[in-house]
Amino acid sequence: MLDANRIRADFPIFEQPINGRPLVYLDSTASTQKPRCVIEAVSAVYEHTYANVHRGIYPLAEAASEAYETARQKVADFIGAREAAEIIFVRNTTEGLNLVMYAWGLHTLQAGDRIVITEMEHHSNMVPWQQLASWKGAELVYAPVTDAGELDLAALEALIHGGRTRLVSVTAMSNVLGTITPVQEIVALAHAAGALAVIDGAQSVPHLPTDVRALDADFLAFSGHKLGAPGIGALYGRRELLESMSPFLFGGDMILSVTKAGATWNDLPYKFEAGTPAIAEAIGLGAALDYLQRLGMDAVHAHEAALVRYAMERLAEVPGLRILGPTADKRGGVVAFTLEGAHPHDIADILGSLGICIRAGLHCAEPLHRRFGLPATARASFYIYNRHEDVDALIAGLHEVRRVLGLNR
Amino acid sequence: MSELYRETIMDHYHNPSNFGVLDPADVEMELDNPTCGDHVHVTLRLDEAGNIAAMAFEGNGCVISMAAASLLTEAVVGKSPAELKTWGLNEIQELMGGVRLSMGRVKCATLALEAVKRGLNQAGK
Repeated sequence: MLDANRIRADFPIFEQPINGRPLVYLDSTASTQKPRCVIEAVSAVYEHTYANVHRGIYPLAEAASEAYETARQKVADFIGAREAAEIIFVRNTTEGLNLVMYAWGLHTLQAGDRIVITEMEHHSNMVPWQQLASWKGAELVYAPVTDAGELDLAALEALIHGGRTRLVSVTAMSNVLGTITPVQEIVALAHAAGALAVIDGAQSVPHLPTDVRALDADFLAFSGHKLGAPGIGALYGRRELLESMSPFLFGGDMILSVTKAGATWNDLPYKFEAGTPAIAEAIGLGAALDYLQRLGMDAVHAHEAALVRYAMERLAEVPGLRILGPTADKRGGVVAFTLEGAHPHDIADILGSLGICIRAGLHCAEPLHRRFGLPATARASFYIYNRHEDVDALIAGLHEVRRVLGLNR
Repeated sequence: MSELYRETIMDHYHNPSNFGVLDPADVEMELDNPTCGDHVHVTLRLDEAGNIAAMAFEGNGCVISMAAASLLTEAVVGKSPAELKTWGLNEIQELMGGVRLSMGRVKCATLALEAVKRGLNQAGK
């Protein structure tokens, strides 16, 4: 396992107690805390190298452009892209998926074409396709999730072959169930049917080694803020596809030439980055990826796998607690659960007053909750700075929840 | 421990007042809080002067939404529809013993009140 105590020392937020107690942060699936190196990298941009990118020819502008492009190369290296031009900076995973929907889907999809997603998708990998399907008269189908919280791969394959499938878009790791999906097989199934494969990497890229070339993915979107970086994200797309696509947003920096009659588009990746981008955030993302690279993504995954195994063992001790999703060996560092007699909001509220941060609600996955007949769940999630003590604090907190809500009577 | 979960609130949660449905009712409304799955169904009867004579609620949800609904059923009796329509978070916080609710709990606390206001509007009261 990683030395989480040493890692915590890299994250200034843990120096600050909550209601006199140490911060127990178990909501990294929503967004992660930031290491000092990222905070300093962002500050350093504003203190030493800030100017707009790709415009000025004075030295400061060149330094800013170079730092911004270095960050893009780091993203490309981190996820195994062939070249930096295949990386488009976006605000977050949601924007990356919307880019694919607008720039590829809107121009390509025909009435009657099929889009295949799964029941375990986050709303950001669901609602854009719903919209696209309704605009184009296309068909959106959902591969089912089993009672154990795994993807029904046979059903997914049947759905892919059951229509004129043009696009298969799946999460590599569920943000509720924690399920790690067999993306490589799914990409192969999509390609065998002549469809494109889009991967929602919001939960996988921060927690698992990622290699878009080994996966043979057509697109992969992820969010930097879920891996220690500021509010920024990236979309990977295969060069041939990106070149064939129309821009998503129009404006400055994405054009080659503009006349009153029209405009021509800049090269990749600038074609998709209209307007002044999030410069310092991109450089912060580069710093966060360096930090993770030093830890090693295999070690990150192993650390979280050990924590989730321990958490599932300990949670089973709490009376009335039911865990959603698969066994520990098939999931990442996410555990969603219900506690009989306690609404998730009350659980999160009481734990919050004890300095324990968990999420309660639908976690942007309402159809998945309906699939399991649940109005809401509580969710604890882990990252590199979490320790066994955090799990122990959660368990003690849940016993306190039971006491406060009178469940022991 | 959070001051929200004091004994009076927990009593209203475990033993809610006026839990059920008034049949017949002059005002009826069901409302969900989609972010957390809370659900309330409120029914009200008006007296001859048009003021609230009785209110009942049923539903399921968190301690805050259910306790606030229970407290509301007692507080609305004798009030006019016009007055109730001016009620908001402050009145609910008062009913709950002067607590200050965090942003995340406001929708839970005001769910039943919101249902009452929508029901009154729908009934043209």
